[in-house]
Amino acid sequence: MLNHFQTLLLFAFIASLAFAFLSKRKLGERLKYTIWAFLAFVLVAIAIGWLLYPFTR
Amino acid sequence: MSEENKHEVTMADTGRGVVAAAAGWIVPGLGHAILKRWGSAAVYFISVSVLAILGMAMRGNVFPSSSSDPFDRLGFFADLGTGMFYFLTKTFEAAGPDVSRSAGVYGTMMIATAGVLNMLFILEAFDIGRKTKS
Repeated sequence: MLNHFQTLLLFAFIASLAFAFLSKRKLGERLKYTIWAFLAFVLVAIAIGWLLYPFTR
Repeated sequence: MSEENKHEVTMADTGRGVVAAAAGWIVPGLGHAILKRWGSAAVYFISVSVLAILGMAMRGNVFPSSSSDPFDRLGFFADLGTGMFYFLTKTFEAAGPDVSRSAGVYGTMMIATAGVLNMLFILEAFDIGRKTKS
């Protein structure tokens, strides 16, 4: 089974791809949107993880 | 609506939209396949099925229709959006949900996300069928 980070990566990729297909029509635009949304998902998740870290103990 | 997108919607267009939306609900992506949007159909089917099956494999909670809690009822509507995967829960999640572990909680969110994403795909299939979206 996937660990938490792998699950996050898979979730981010699938959601990014789905949003790219919903909002863009051309292949190049979809590819660009997928990459940007994927990076945004992962970076924001890591940032929120660090922000919440002091409250975990 | 902009000038270029102006289109007289006929009953046949609406009927095609409803059929595409219904098909897309039962089998994610099927609505787009009916409308010959093969690429979108494949991506949407894979997206919803991977999220739903992975969520169930992680023993996420699939909310029943009998939930009395309002949030659980919202969860039920989100889960129902996965179409056939909702009705195949017992097949994919024979051991039942386990939200005492974090994997189960993530799984619950994945199943709900799959359902909500499929609702967006259904709306798009309806619009394409009605020719109000290219």
